[in-house]
Amino acid sequence: MMNRIEAEDRLLKTFKIPNFYDEQWITISKILNGEKVLLIEKTGFGKSLCFQFPATVFDGLTIVFSPLISLMRDQVKKLNSLGINAKCINSEQTIEENNQIINEAINGNLKILYIAPERQENSEWLESTLKMKIAMVVVDEAHCISVWGHDFRPSFKRIINLVKLLPKGLPILATTATATKRVENDIIEQIGDNIISIRGNLMRDNFKLFVIKVSSEDEKMMWLGRHINSFPGNGVIYTGTRVNTEVYANWFEYLGISSTSYNAGLDSESRVEIENGLMNNRWKCIISTNALGMGIDKPDIRFVIHTQIPQSLIHYYQEIGRAGRDGETSYVILFYNPKDKSLPQAFIEGARPSINKYEKVISTIKKELLGERELMKATNLKLNQVRVIKSDLIEQGIIREVLLGRSKKYEFIPKSKKLDNDAFEKLKESKLKDLQSMIDYVEAESPRMKFICDYLGDNSKQEYINCDNTSEKKINVKIKPEWEEKLKDFREDKFPILEVESKGSKIVNGIASSFYGVSDVGKLIYSSKYENGGDYPETLLNLFVKAYSKNYKYENFDVIIHIPPSISGNLVRHFASKVSKKLKIPISHDLIKIRETRQQKEFENNYLKAENISDAFEFKNPTRLKNKNILLIDDVFDSGVTIKEVGKYLSKLGVSKITPLVIAKTVGGDVL
Amino acid sequence: MINEASYWITLAHLPDWGNSKINNLIIKFHHNYQISIDEFFNLDEQVWRKEYELEEKQIIDLKKAKSEITNNSFIAESLLNQGFEIIPITLPEYSQTLKSNLKSKYSPPILYIKGNKSILNEESIAIVGSRDASKNALLFTDNIAKKASIESKTIVSGFAKGVDKKALDSAISYHCNSVIVLPQGIMTFTSGYKDYYKQVVDGELLILSTFFPKLPWKVELAMARNPIIYGLADEIYVAESSEKGGTWSGVIDGLKKNRRVFVRIPEANEKNANNILIEKGAIPVDINGIETQANLKLDDDNSNIQTSIF
Ligand SMILES: Nc1ncnc2c1ncn2[C@@H]1O[C@H](COP(=O)(O)OP(=O)(O)OP(=O)(O)O)[C@@H](O)[C@H]1O
Ligand SMILES: [Mg+2]
Repeated sequence: MMNRIEAEDRLLKTFKIPNFYDEQWITISKILNGEKVLLIEKTGFGKSLCFQFPATVFDGLTIVFSPLISLMRDQVKKLNSLGINAKCINSEQTIEENNQIINEAINGNLKILYIAPERQENSEWLESTLKMKIAMVVVDEAHCISVWGHDFRPSFKRIINLVKLLPKGLPILATTATATKRVENDIIEQIGDNIISIRGNLMRDNFKLFVIKVSSEDEKMMWLGRHINSFPGNGVIYTGTRVNTEVYANWFEYLGISSTSYNAGLDSESRVEIENGLMNNRWKCIISTNALGMGIDKPDIRFVIHTQIPQSLIHYYQEIGRAGRDGETSYVILFYNPKDKSLPQAFIEGARPSINKYEKVISTIKKELLGERELMKATNLKLNQVRVIKSDLIEQGIIREVLLGRSKKYEFIPKSKKLDNDAFEKLKESKLKDLQSMIDYVEAESPRMKFICDYLGDNSKQEYINCDNTSEKKINVKIKPEWEEKLKDFREDKFPILEVESKGSKIVNGIASSFYGVSDVGKLIYSSKYENGGDYPETLLNLFVKAYSKNYKYENFDVIIHIPPSISGNLVRHFASKVSKKLKIPISHDLIKIRETRQQKEFENNYLKAENISDAFEFKNPTRLKNKNILLIDDVFDSGVTIKEVGKYLSKLGVSKITPLVIAKTVGGDVL
Repeated sequence: MINEASYWITLAHLPDWGNSKINNLIIKFHHNYQISIDEFFNLDEQVWRKEYELEEKQIIDLKKAKSEITNNSFIAESLLNQGFEIIPITLPEYSQTLKSNLKSKYSPPILYIKGNKSILNEESIAIVGSRDASKNALLFTDNIAKKASIESKTIVSGFAKGVDKKALDSAISYHCNSVIVLPQGIMTFTSGYKDYYKQVVDGELLILSTFFPKLPWKVELAMARNPIIYGLADEIYVAESSEKGGTWSGVIDGLKKNRRVFVRIPEANEKNANNILIEKGAIPVDINGIETQANLKLDDDNSNIQTSIF
């Protein structure tokens, strides 16, 4: 086996790095010796090198299981720039691309292949593994294996079984920065006694850590609007929700601050584009959910700001780990409004569907072998509910996933135990405790870095002077009236987009006069709709008309059409009539439903929603609409399924254009 | 055992070795040296040569196999995750009937299964016959299934059209346990599985294959499966056989080994080789599976059955 000097010689040539850190070399020599190692080191330590280097030494392919596509792409790009043949296969690439890469792996041209553990569900992949020469298996971000970890992924758990099946002498490396003692023990216990763990200290001393306490979302927006450009370099702002990535990006755009939003709701092309832009400092900052995060390695992210507390201090350590990986000073700021707690809390407490929904799934699966979509139909449950239930039931050993050719089905496991409700309670308690750690961090008066390290089980003695509890000055938010003005103007000027355009339909993207969750809009709508609050109030009408005049003042609409209601109730009809009067555009009430449909919100998923209203609409006197420019009005835009269906129908009648305009848009959820 | 799965898959399908050589090796490390399969694979080459007296060619094969354990781990993980099980010949769950019928010469080193594996060691009968079976053959099959159900015997069949399919469906309708022996790798059994899922979950049906899990259906596999069907059963019932093909050669082979093979007595106008099989020593039975008078005298026990059926 090669010694350290020979290895470092090679390291310099291949990776342009002169020396290993000691703990890297300890790990690497074990790996070269065919051992199994769990490596826990701080964010930005250089854990990747511990498998990338051996991978270039081994004759054969290294398979790396990785939880995030953005992370795979990031590492592949770096390796390729060093001339090392690494690729990833993932669900965002075409089947042809993936097959091409698999062929390369089989032909022995590839050194490192990144895959998501879900790949093990793919039949072609399984067949191709038979033909590869595999030298090592790596599990990056290995905390995903443990339910006690901050980002448990059921499919990661399967890797445990794979690791157990792999022959002795095949090197295996599992890495993470964010494993508490409990997670570490859990991983080791599951994998078995032939894995050793190496743990380093977690201190990131180039961080400057601050907590800014505020009393409203507005204060965060105004403070950031005012100060973001005075931060050095580029950075990332994490918001708690997808809708807030949009809101903040709109706000920055309004202020002329260069930024873009990133979340898992974007299509893959946009995401790749943004990831590249991040690396090239195309924007001052990227406003993102935690979909961008884990493992991403950019040397000079100078600030990481959270507008919302993450679910736990471990999440937080992971996310701020993106900052300052070059070792230079970087700002790490957390905003906290006591109200913010409710979001992660609701998430933890509401994350699980009710027990009778679990029982419904179990009894359905007992009778029949079903796929996800069939299961949704058979149970009338939402996609995300079905997914949560499925993975819990798999975790508890009550059902399992099987492959019938290309399709995945779920089968009942004979003689399995009863659903264990206590397990959910325990997990929930543990998560609430983790959330409390986050609050404790906010309130802490001790050195912040030490607080984090202690929590993560790193007790090494060090000096901590890098936060607003030690040598840095506290930041307080003082707002000048001009900023209040600016924010108000923004609110009245910028509108959420309704993306409904599709091939063969004359419908164009429209706007909403507001987001549902912002200010009082949601409350007002809810009260009229579900609490007998009467017609939609003037406030909403004014908001709507304002949105109209800001965006469509110069558009000549021929007629207003509104979406007919599912049950009695003329809220939208009355509202549209008032709009018509105010804007002086003729209105038609002739769009009707030709068959009974149920309220869309009764249906928990889009398949059923689409089915519910498909071919349900008719326009009396259809010829009248030929070449007409139509303004289509509804109250709340959620999935967009109804509006798209109406757009499709009206297009067939020969209209020239349909523009949807609604009172409020929800983002990524059924608020109603 | 779970951790050994990839080793067993690798050993069981060693190319060109055949079951006999593989089983002999298993006997050596399992019975003689009493070590586990992974210990065997991790032995030094010298030990293989000296203590196991393996030839050079075999050592080369085993070394190559050893390098393939990693590859098979991926399949094994998927296999186990989907609830399939691997039963090596060394375990008591392995069908003892199969072992005693096929001996170490022919017994498959491992069985791939899904379902209630305790069925494997119940008293069992096989019902065999052609793919395009006559009405009489199907009626016979149904009668035998009914009889098996009364006698609490398991029905083994081959999941082909005709007699096989009838045997399975009748077994299900009489709530008789059954085993189907696949002519393909167990992971490629897809469309049929959906239809019989309920029975598997209820523990009435066991799916079994002896081939590499990813192998798709082939004629050769269908032929190679027949001895397994015959081997898994204590008694064999032949609904209909022509003078060649799988059923025929299976019965001939069974007769040679002194197995109890019952053949349905055909009606005068039937065109099949049932009578030839009877001439060759198979036991003739009527459409209800009842031995004819001549034979009954030799075997009193069956008279009870006769009354209980009607
Ligand atoms: N021995 C070394 N000397 C100098 N730089 C190094 C060394 N090892 C790694 N690096 C650099 O450190 C940076 C961070 O490495 P890496 O992305 O592997 O971190 P990580 O430990 O995986 O962190 P995270 O937990 O955040 O994923 C990389 O840019 C890498 O090139
Ligand atoms: Mg990393």
